[in-house]
Amino acid sequence: MTAPTLLIRDLYLAFRGWAGQIDVLHGISLHINKGERVALVGESGSGKSVTARIILGLLQQTRSARVSGLVAFEGRALAKLTEAERHRLRGNRISMIFQDPMSSLNPVYRIGEQFHEVLKRAEPRIAPAAAREKAAAALADVAIPDPNRALDSYAFQLSGGMNQRVMIAMALANEPSLLIADEPGTALDVTVQAQTLELMRDLVAKHHTSVLFISHNLGVVREFADRVYVIYKGRIVEHGRTADLFADPRHPYTRALLAAVPRITGEGVPEIDDVSEDYFQPLVVHEGCAEPEVTG
Amino acid sequence: MTHLLSLHDVSKIFAQSKHEVRAVDEVSLDVDEGECLAVVGESGSGKSTLANMILGIYPPSIGTISFRGEVLPGKRELAHRRAIQLVQQNPLSSLNPQRSIGASLRLPLDVHGLGERSQRSDRVGQLLEEVGLPADYAGRSPASLSGGQRQRVAIARALACESDLVVLDEPTSALDVLVQARVLKLLNDLRRKRGLTYVFITHDLSVVRNIADRVAVFERGRLVELNPTGKVFSDPDHAYTRRLIGAVPVVTAEEVRLRNHLMKKENVSA
Ligand SMILES: Nc1ncnc2c1ncn2[C@@H]1O[C@H](COP(=O)(O)OP(=O)(O)OP(=O)(O)O)[C@@H](O)[C@H]1O
Ligand SMILES: Nc1ncnc2c1ncn2[C@@H]1O[C@H](COP(=O)(O)OP(=O)(O)OP(=O)(O)O)[C@@H](O)[C@H]1O
Ligand SMILES: [Mg+2]
Ligand SMILES: [Mg+2]
Repeated sequence: MTAPTLLIRDLYLAFRGWAGQIDVLHGISLHINKGERVALVGESGSGKSVTARIILGLLQQTRSARVSGLVAFEGRALAKLTEAERHRLRGNRISMIFQDPMSSLNPVYRIGEQFHEVLKRAEPRIAPAAAREKAAAALADVAIPDPNRALDSYAFQLSGGMNQRVMIAMALANEPSLLIADEPGTALDVTVQAQTLELMRDLVAKHHTSVLFISHNLGVVREFADRVYVIYKGRIVEHGRTADLFADPRHPYTRALLAAVPRITGEGVPEIDDVSEDYFQPLVVHEGCAEPEVTG
Repeated sequence: MTHLLSLHDVSKIFAQSKHEVRAVDEVSLDVDEGECLAVVGESGSGKSTLANMILGIYPPSIGTISFRGEVLPGKRELAHRRAIQLVQQNPLSSLNPQRSIGASLRLPLDVHGLGERSQRSDRVGQLLEEVGLPADYAGRSPASLSGGQRQRVAIARALACESDLVVLDEPTSALDVLVQARVLKLLNDLRRKRGLTYVFITHDLSVVRNIADRVAVFERGRLVELNPTGKVFSDPDHAYTRRLIGAVPVVTAEEVRLRNHLMKKENVSA
């Protein structure tokens, strides 16, 4: 059997600050097979974005962060790669759509110039005209109405949702084998969101891309993911196939999350506690969803 | 009766070197004291531009905006700056990275002289707790917070000013549903207690359904529908509104039925 695209085992993370140590991840394990779409959902502040940053190898360089545990990409432990090798993976084999598009788009370069840089990571000698053509097609794919104007714009001249789509197009441009999408649809209206998810689904199916899909939106997760991990305060609390988890949520935290989704049928803002001792109950794993053996 | 906020034929045109964008196109609407008006619409339809004009970040190209019957000038006085607050769409860029969370929350209290000086640090802690964050987060920097935690700080900062009108641009999009429910409840309580008025910009129609009194729907800079919430979700006037509701990702079978029902009407009228 081939190694999973991504395998995380017993990942711990803590930050040291003036106020002492803050423990953020308490030993999480997860995996994504080739071509699989896996969602990570959970509380705000539970450790989703830091997990993504660790997979990219970004947090390991932060002095205040302490990381331990295994993160393996296509069977190779990230910790065993040199920094140069990790750098080559980023933006090429592993790409990320960041939660906050404004912070990852450079404010002083036009979108077209930034897109060129992205394409160069996979194809170092690509000419500006060819890059522009490719970029315009990629922006049209994510339903940007006037791709040429977008390429001539700075990020501040585009709307929140347009910037988010620019990020999505950039992340998919080099046909990565692992795509990490951190809240990719938050600034999109529902019609564009549906269209963008459809596009992501198509591209992912065509290139057997694996996806780690981080989202608060349970409706979107239900429609997009094959499997779901639910995380609460740095611990995975439930893991199962999407249909099973939505039909039969077993952990008190997952149940609370599902009950707290406002309904378009309109029953008012749900009355559910956002903190409870019950949310610390141990991990529930649905049938057939055990973590794979670590090999090598 | 005078409205709290009125827009009269407001347009905003951006000129970029080779391109011209009509971001907001002849929009007129009124917002009454104490109401929650939701603003929805496709990405790039001009919602944030509208928010920025209401706040006076830039003036309309054409048209006027009045507050309590008075036309707002391009350059706002301190009193107006306090009376109208904004929670920006982008929580990271709206917090000064150099300043601690506590200092960011305290600044409006100092600028507008709100409360006793000696009680302002307590007030900062209280504001954090209201949005579900521990009071000791006051000492942290924006960079050490998660996306949703920053968004809550931005909400707390807007509420600190005890303003009359709060424009919220995607205020809960980065929050999990439990924290979102808490923030929405807080907003509802403040509205009841202090008579606050909200212009609530969001893509999340499930949220709109449960907190807004009326809904304004934008498409390409134009206001295409403005109706009470109940009407918008049972019998919308505009085909675009129907498409929007038809595309909402939902979690219950009952919601799927409502969605299908609206889509059926859409096909009949198309
Ligand atoms: N540099 C840092 N120093 C100290 N604490 C940090 C740092 N970065 C993140 N944290 C803390 O780690 C926890 C996890 O953060 P993370 O950004 O992963 O949350 P998240 O699950 O992505 O939340 P959200 O859904 O709100 O984006 C948070 O409580 C955050 O405050
Ligand atoms: N400073 C600017 N210069 C040029 N064009 C701009 C500027 N600000 C906004 N625009 C353009 O105006 C249009 C409306 O943008 P706006 O940010 O108001 O959309 P929005 O409805 O808030 O969208 P979203 O839901 O994606 O946040 C877009 O086409 C955008 O590119
Ligand atoms: Mg995050
Ligand atoms: Mg906007």
